[in-house]
Amino acid sequence: MPTCPIHRNPITAAESPAVGIAIEGLSKNFGPLQALKNVSFAVEPGEIFVLMGPSGSGKSVLLKHIVGLEAASAGRVLIDGHDAATEGTLEKVRIALVFQAGALFNSISVYDNLALYPREHQLGTEAEIKEKVMRALQILSLENAAQKFPSELSGGMKKRVAIARALVMEPQLMLYDEPTSELDPVMSATISEIIATLKDEYHVTTIVVSHDRELALGIADRIGILMGGELVFLGPPSEVATSKDPRIADFFHPKIDLKKPRFKSLET
Amino acid sequence: MKQLNTILLGFGGAVQLLLQSCKYLGTLPRQRARFIEQCYLIGYTTLPIVAILSFFMGSVLALQSGYSMQNFGAKQFIGSLVGLSFARELGPVIVAILVAGRVGSAITAELASMKVYQEVDALVTMNIPPARMLVMPRLAAIVVMMPILAIIGDLVGWFGGALVSKYVDAIAIDPEAYFSALRRYMKFKDVATGLVKAEIFGFVVVLICCSIGLNTRGGPREIGASVTRAVVASLISILVLDYFVTKALM
Amino acid sequence: MNTAQQTARVGLFFLLGVALIWVTFETLSDGKIFKDNGYTLVAGFENLKELKQGDEVRMAGVKIGSVEKTRLAGRRAEAILRVEPGIKIASDATATIVMAGLIGTNYISVDLGTPGSPALADGAELHTKVTADINTIMSEIGNLGQKLEGALASITDSMKGKDGEPGLFQKIDKLVSANTESTTVTLSNLRDITTKLKDGEGTLGKLINDPKLHDDLLATVAEIKSAAADAKIFVTETQGILAQVKSGKGALGTLLYDEESAANIKATVKNFHDVSDKIARGEGTLGKLLNDDALYIGVQNTLKKADRAIDGLGDSGPITAVGVVAKSLF
Repeated sequence: MPTCPIHRNPITAAESPAVGIAIEGLSKNFGPLQALKNVSFAVEPGEIFVLMGPSGSGKSVLLKHIVGLEAASAGRVLIDGHDAATEGTLEKVRIALVFQAGALFNSISVYDNLALYPREHQLGTEAEIKEKVMRALQILSLENAAQKFPSELSGGMKKRVAIARALVMEPQLMLYDEPTSELDPVMSATISEIIATLKDEYHVTTIVVSHDRELALGIADRIGILMGGELVFLGPPSEVATSKDPRIADFFHPKIDLKKPRFKSLET
Repeated sequence: MKQLNTILLGFGGAVQLLLQSCKYLGTLPRQRARFIEQCYLIGYTTLPIVAILSFFMGSVLALQSGYSMQNFGAKQFIGSLVGLSFARELGPVIVAILVAGRVGSAITAELASMKVYQEVDALVTMNIPPARMLVMPRLAAIVVMMPILAIIGDLVGWFGGALVSKYVDAIAIDPEAYFSALRRYMKFKDVATGLVKAEIFGFVVVLICCSIGLNTRGGPREIGASVTRAVVASLISILVLDYFVTKALM
Repeated sequence: MNTAQQTARVGLFFLLGVALIWVTFETLSDGKIFKDNGYTLVAGFENLKELKQGDEVRMAGVKIGSVEKTRLAGRRAEAILRVEPGIKIASDATATIVMAGLIGTNYISVDLGTPGSPALADGAELHTKVTADINTIMSEIGNLGQKLEGALASITDSMKGKDGEPGLFQKIDKLVSANTESTTVTLSNLRDITTKLKDGEGTLGKLINDPKLHDDLLATVAEIKSAAADAKIFVTETQGILAQVKSGKGALGTLLYDEESAANIKATVKNFHDVSDKIARGEGTLGKLLNDDALYIGVQNTLKKADRAIDGLGDSGPITAVGVVAKSLF
């Protein structure tokens, strides 16, 4: 497995000033189910913010609100002062979301996946686009996969292609949805390193939704923990270890106790 | 009540999608490649089945009407009957139904799977409106391809009728007589009416299928459900519209 | 498949479609919109009947144009005919609306006119003639049937006699049979009589020697024969009598001197003569029926069609009624 090769070819001297995000009293209901309950926090420009929490705690829903795919039931998300829910925000702020499953366009090749954004937005000639795409592929060691189709790729490669696709957008805000899920530990570490390096090189604001402890503790500037739709923790990684909250302690250091299994206690 | 609500929502969604797509009509020149691809899928690959079905429809029509009409000595009018009913009614409806079944279902399946696998969401975050990239080229393609499919359907249907009229002993009408009867009672307006109908049907079918595909929610199971819904909605729309369009064009 | 190939196929497909639409257009509209040439003529009719826009205009059965427009102009209906260029229509040509089928397809037929007469110019008016259409023919046939029946009845009456009184032929018959005995006596006088007859003396002599009268009688018989089958019986009877008269049987003497009887016969024969003359001249419905070939052929065609229709339809409506009338007539 190739290690992080980013230092070799940094993308243009990106003049993409990072943006700050303010989430103000965000609530979201799906029918009777309340996915988010009055969540408020802010992310500073150029920060890596890792949003953690058990499955179904509302992390991905929050992410969708930031990128404008879901409309809030109450509260709002401000990106560099623009409401994420209004149309046109995506035109003012370049946001790239790396989906959990990659969300690559299955009907076109990896190269075309990457080239789609610049082509659609007419960012340069075909030669310029090619240069840009090939550089992004190079950064993630994917040169050989350019002409392959997404269905021919392994899980790790798909995630890297998704990151490369995000990179081509030269985003001001990078969002990662579970970037290390379903990957082996080495691949997970590689992805974590890529995320951190991209942030260092381009000073891009980064929000990572994950329940990967290694990643969170390794690269996060701050960590937020969502449980049942509520923000129960907000602070730097060092504070996580000292947290007195039993839920957080359990989430970070779950003990495997065969004598008293959790699913049995749930039943009672 | 809930059903009605669903129908109204679907209708509203389709209209909205149409308006959005119209907004991006100007981007057609640079989406040339996509437009050509859709033309190929919608028009070229649908041609064989349109031809086969129209041929046999025309044959059966001539056969049936021939048998009934010879009883009162009116079989020389078979040409007019087949010609008119094909140009005005059967041709457009058959082509529209085939487009719904073959093209519409494929569109819905593709868009629904893109939606389910978050490809559509990815497009949205990339600030590429799905209406521009996924819907507009398809609508443009059907507008261009539909009259062509319809005219081919008409002509093949007429020839099917002519062949049957000649070679079935009970009817035995020369193609010359058949086509002269066809020409005598038909104006180009009849054919044009049919083409307009086909155009409307095709457009509505593609719009419905795109709309339902893009509004798919949930897992992969929903893709199949969406396809079924899209085809059913298309077929109903074709026949309901048929009545009103026919009335309007009279 | 590469993009170029796909583009080529789509392009070809598109061209094919456009070509097909164009060909269809050309075929169905006769390219009318592209070349609106030729010239127009106006034909005024009392009633355009089933004539409609787009119907053909034919001269001697050949299509020379079409009805461009139909309109109402004051107290008459006008059809604007577009005639193909190069077709000359004589100024004394007559236009008629001709029925091409039972279910209302018509065309305008223009006759050739007399040779040498000047051709009509653009916008000129054509002479027109009213022709019987299917409805008038059918009602005529109905009337004809009734009249014919009445005529035959009165003929039969005059033969048989009314209210128990013996009719003309019965009278003659009686005369002949009652006087059989005196025939022998009379026979001796015959030679005298024949010589007299030869010389053309006396009424019978006149009767026999006037060839016109004799020929008329024969012609009448022949005409009646062809006109009505019912009259056949009468004719046979007449023939029988004539034979008797010719062979000199019966009360010829009486007949010879009975000027009144001779006058009677003469009168009857004259009546028939009149009738047959009228028929021959084409007067009256029967006369028209027998003499107007066109009408006869038209009726025959119509009835053939009606007949076919009846075969298929069984019993439904006016066509059947017409068919029944037609069948009982011919």
